[in-house]
Amino acid sequence: MNKFLGNKTAILLFILPALLLYTVMVFYPIVQTFFRSMYEWDGLSEGTFIWFDNYTRLFQDSLFFTSLKNGLIFAVIITVTQIGIGSILAFAVADAKFKGRKLLRISFFIPVVLSITVVCQLWLSIYNGEYGLINKIFEMIGLEYKQDWLSSSKSAIVAIAFVNAWQYMGYHFALLLAGVKSVPEQYMEAARIDGATKLQAILKINIPMMAETYKFCLVFAITGGLNAFANMYIMTSGGPGTSTYTLTYLMYRSAFRVGEFGYGSAAAAILVIECLIATLIINRLIARERISY
Amino acid sequence: MKKMAIFMMSLCLVFVAACGSAGNNEAANNKTTDEGNKETATNAAPEETKAEEAKPVKLRIYAQYADDDTKLPYDYAVAELKKEMPNVELELEVQAQDDGQKLKTYAATGNLPDIYQAGLDIITTFKKSGNILELDSYVDELGFRDKMYPSTMNTLVADDGHTYAFPYAGNEFVLLYYNKELFEQNGVKVPTTYDELMTAVKAFNAAGITPMSLFAKEKWPTVALFDMFVTRNEPQGILKLDKGEASASDPAYKEAADKIIELVKAGMLPKGATNLNYDQAAALFHQGKAAMFLNGQWEIAESTKQLGDKAGWMYFPGKDAANYEASKYAFSGGGGPGGYAVNPDTKDKDVAAKVAAFLSLKYAEYKYTERGNPLVSTKVDKAIVTEYPPMMKQLSDDIAKITSTTSFAWGLSDAKFKAAIEDASQSLMTGAYSSEQFIEDVNKAIPAAK
Repeated sequence: MNKFLGNKTAILLFILPALLLYTVMVFYPIVQTFFRSMYEWDGLSEGTFIWFDNYTRLFQDSLFFTSLKNGLIFAVIITVTQIGIGSILAFAVADAKFKGRKLLRISFFIPVVLSITVVCQLWLSIYNGEYGLINKIFEMIGLEYKQDWLSSSKSAIVAIAFVNAWQYMGYHFALLLAGVKSVPEQYMEAARIDGATKLQAILKINIPMMAETYKFCLVFAITGGLNAFANMYIMTSGGPGTSTYTLTYLMYRSAFRVGEFGYGSAAAAILVIECLIATLIINRLIARERISY
Repeated sequence: MKKMAIFMMSLCLVFVAACGSAGNNEAANNKTTDEGNKETATNAAPEETKAEEAKPVKLRIYAQYADDDTKLPYDYAVAELKKEMPNVELELEVQAQDDGQKLKTYAATGNLPDIYQAGLDIITTFKKSGNILELDSYVDELGFRDKMYPSTMNTLVADDGHTYAFPYAGNEFVLLYYNKELFEQNGVKVPTTYDELMTAVKAFNAAGITPMSLFAKEKWPTVALFDMFVTRNEPQGILKLDKGEASASDPAYKEAADKIIELVKAGMLPKGATNLNYDQAAALFHQGKAAMFLNGQWEIAESTKQLGDKAGWMYFPGKDAANYEASKYAFSGGGGPGGYAVNPDTKDKDVAAKVAAFLSLKYAEYKYTERGNPLVSTKVDKAIVTEYPPMMKQLSDDIAKITSTTSFAWGLSDAKFKAAIEDASQSLMTGAYSSEQFIEDVNKAIPAAK
């Protein structure tokens, strides 16, 4: 093995295809985005180099701050819901005494494999102000709490975030379930002998030992939230007005509706930086030491 | 070892750079070749051109082909083309409803179709990037100017005095449709003033009927509604803002925003209006669940089909009776340069331009004779096959009396302003957006006066 790892030429040769693909598909476009963000450019004509003017404009644009705020709200809601409920479900389903766990395991994962368009259409009907399921339920139980879920600038972003949270909760559930199962049984057995309750065992043994899994889930949920686009594109088209804009939506609007590709690239560059910072912070704070069983 | 790693990385970068520059060179070469073609085409004798026309020509066309209103005229135009120019074969690519993204991507990647439908936004952008052929010489050669109505010249000639597309659509209008039966049954007077409109809103709400249906998920109808209120006091409406000649804080605009907020708060629109698409909003009106409906004049055919004589359109209410009379013929909507445009890099510009002009004429002809639509840009000398519905007759009679028109949202020339007014107008429909916020958001995007 040591001899194999010592052959650096072989290693380089093996990673070359992946490295090439990564460079062409990821690295080069990101560099281009940063480069183009310093241009006044409509995507077709020759651009004008304007240094950091797009960034200056961005930081003076109230739409940028609305988008930033919405991205954060979206990220927080999906992170708390997906990881919180995903954990509870994973711990419940991992328990051998839990009846019907096989069925539940599959059921929780079904929304993940559905097309996002289908899910959004489904929730558009559920949220409908006139005949939507949620309002009908309120009506049935006699509550006067009928809402225009997606047409109110305050509730729209929260309503959309819950759709994403619902759809991808199963994904986090599957990851966390695998994490729960990877904790060696002898630790749990030792805890039981020492008289620990189920909750204590989860809090003191399971969760700390699943730090790596949680780190992965957090990175996925937070960057996924900051990047959100498809849900608002399908459900509200960023509306009402601009109330469900995120940075990705701002990028789309700038590039394709307004024809300012340079400005859109600046929004994309900020988004890349934002996601990088979030990933770095998560890596710094969680699972700093590798746990080995 | 380090050297090896550096070598590998350099190789990657060279590969990436080569990919990028290869594309550029190819595009540049194409351009040069086409420049050559241009010269050849200009110098060619007319006889040679005729001979060339007889050769089979295949042209890619990017056009609207979504419903009866776009499919039938297109099919008719293509069938007529087959008779006139049998050597030309068209390969249709259906236009996507995507704010021109696909077309712009085609242009950016050097894959633009030979003929494509272009609106003002595409014309403005492609003019700068050299992706649209200036058609002035073809307008003269084909005598296209003589085929236009004097009142629709604005659809042929752009602001810079040149022609970039052969138009077929004339100046179109926004109309406020209403269900006569619902008004009669509920004892509501067809409103002529804002107060009467408010009375109608309250009366219909009390009767469990939606006062006005609006497909506000698409943002342009919200801009049209705002524009209708503005035109009561400022005939140029949103067009004046687009040109940078007015501010959203001017009384006409502020009052319009305030009035909409007041009416929306009183329940003028259905619940979740900003999330209703055309099908949902139109269904409310067609099924007699909504008393009024805002759309372009192209809705006449469908509303007549669904509601028959019960459907009508009204002049937009004014501030008071005097204002109503004074602004009765200040219509919202309008037209602008647009139609079938030609790719400057197409192999045979002459044939493509002729085909584009021919398609426009025949497209308009079908709309005029078969679709009951007199609002076309070119003159039609054929008899009408399908009689105009009563609502179209009323509009047709009024056309000469119209004192001013404005623009639809898609006809605005400043893309940044267009996006801002669309977003802000849609926000107005929630009732939870103040006129001050509206003014602030719109004013930020108003271009400097030209």
